[in-house]
Amino acid sequence: MSSHQEAAPSHDGPKVLAVSERSPRVRSIAVVRPGEPDVNYLAATAKGLAITLKHFARNFFLPMKSADERAKPGAPVDETWKNEIETVQYPEEKVTYPERFRGLHRLMLRDDGAVRCVACMCCPTACPAHCITIVPEESDSLRIEKRPAIFEIDELRCIACGLCVEACPCDAIRMDTGEHAKPVEDRARSIETKETMMARGIQSVATQGGEGPNWRETATPPSK
Amino acid sequence: MLDILIAIIDFPATKWLLLIMGLVMPLASILTWMERRQSAMMQDRLGPNRANIGPIKLKGILHFIADAVKMIFKEDFIPANVHKGLFALAPVLALAPVLIAFAIIPFGPTIYPHSLTSTIDTYALATAPGSYAFADSIRLQIFSIDFGLIFYFAVLTLANYGGTIAGWASYNKWALLGGLRSSSQMMSYEVAMGLALMGVFLWTGTLEPGAIALHGASATMSPSNPLNWMWLWQPVGLVLFFTAAIAETKRAPFDIPEGEPEIIGYFVEYSGIRWGMFFLAEFIEIVFVSAVIATIFFGGWQLPFLDADGFRIGGYIDQVTHMSVGGTVLHLPHLVVVLLQAGAFAGKVVLLSMFQLFIRWTLPHMRADQLMNLGWKWLLPLTLANIMVTALIRLLFL
Repeated sequence: MSSHQEAAPSHDGPKVLAVSERSPRVRSIAVVRPGEPDVNYLAATAKGLAITLKHFARNFFLPMKSADERAKPGAPVDETWKNEIETVQYPEEKVTYPERFRGLHRLMLRDDGAVRCVACMCCPTACPAHCITIVPEESDSLRIEKRPAIFEIDELRCIACGLCVEACPCDAIRMDTGEHAKPVEDRARSIETKETMMARGIQSVATQGGEGPNWRETATPPSK
Repeated sequence: MLDILIAIIDFPATKWLLLIMGLVMPLASILTWMERRQSAMMQDRLGPNRANIGPIKLKGILHFIADAVKMIFKEDFIPANVHKGLFALAPVLALAPVLIAFAIIPFGPTIYPHSLTSTIDTYALATAPGSYAFADSIRLQIFSIDFGLIFYFAVLTLANYGGTIAGWASYNKWALLGGLRSSSQMMSYEVAMGLALMGVFLWTGTLEPGAIALHGASATMSPSNPLNWMWLWQPVGLVLFFTAAIAETKRAPFDIPEGEPEIIGYFVEYSGIRWGMFFLAEFIEIVFVSAVIATIFFGGWQLPFLDADGFRIGGYIDQVTHMSVGGTVLHLPHLVVVLLQAGAFAGKVVLLSMFQLFIRWTLPHMRADQLMNLGWKWLLPLTLANIMVTALIRLLFL
């Protein structure tokens, strides 16, 4: 980085000519306006041209920094023979997002690949944008009461607040895909269905609904 | 057959087409892309690099085609209450004079078609110009007229009407303000621009750009010697003319007529290809200013140390033939010399255009009053002083 850190000029404030007696905050000050040009235009022009020419030559002749170095702000850069262009060429190169970036939703899966959601309706209740639609149906499993027949999220209405993820009691919905909502030509196509969100889903390691070690078994029995 | 071909090529319209279609239009179009790309490089960005035809990308150089297609197919919108005739005429008035003014620019040496493959015998050329080898000649300059530079100033003054009429016909206060600023700026700087070249006139005694390029400052040096070009003998004139000429192109730091931050300018009501014509006229003016400066101050189409018969180091000017002779010579065929020299002219124009882009992206834009101060209080007196000093030097020492 060749950012020039210059000391801020010492500033004593404007020269006060008169102060109002009634309210001391009302003052008249001497306004300093630039008078006749006190710079040498030609020398200043040459100096400016040298700076821009240096940047141009450096960026024109030297190779670019690697995509990773450009994409990650603050990453260590071998600056010696690299130019100063910071542009990330978006569709091909992507900035690494922070870990907690909230992207497109995904529905997590059970061990057998079924949807993990039990249609408890916590997330549509928590959703401030009313973008989640769940139609529950009866589950085949004896141990799980409900599952969603329809689970749709309108990504145009979603404000990516993450409250649905916070509200979910069984780690069934997550926003950690790191993907943006894709541009669409038709509003209907911005609606994510259960299938598309399950396609992004992975198996969750959290325990749920009696599968795996049950808290009733592992927890210490309450003392009477 | 050869005679007919020579006659066709020697026709002014053919040469004009050759110059405009071969150098000016391509360069002006590519400058629109180069400006964005170069400014991006100066500001640590990448700039436009995406336009492509299939896999052909060429670093985005095809953006100028995309821009042209976009502008041509945009809606041709004419606002209500504009003066329709003048509104349509203004872009033409801005574009046409610049193209006409190229008539005075020599863009290559005189071609002798009968001796293209052989080395020019300079002694024979000077003593027997009517012989078969030199019987036909094609001068790569459309009009070689004694009042060449005056013609340039006269024609470029007409371009002023383009901006002013566009501002007036648009029925828009901002456009009118831009048009007025345009005319005031052009008038102020034309004075300094014309006077800045008077020093060159005093040195060379001619206003014909071809003669200025060909003869240089001194008759005792070879015209292809860079020390003989006017940049060394008129450095003040060069800086003053360059400044005034940049002001004439109406670009930053002198972009008061367009004034994007404040008033948008005289073409605020224009869109599509009509606006594109103003835009193109601006870039052609850049090319034209570069061509004039290359011709007058940097030896025109001369490549350093390349004489008519080849590269020459040392040598002297024969006082009878006025050709450089002697020295160490690398003889080259006439065709190679012509191509090298025409290429040298194009190269100088490209470099000077790039330099103008550098200036445009380095300096901040000036206020209207600063502009008038610079024009009338600095440039004009300095040009007058330059004329005085040049005249004194010529009178006392030469």
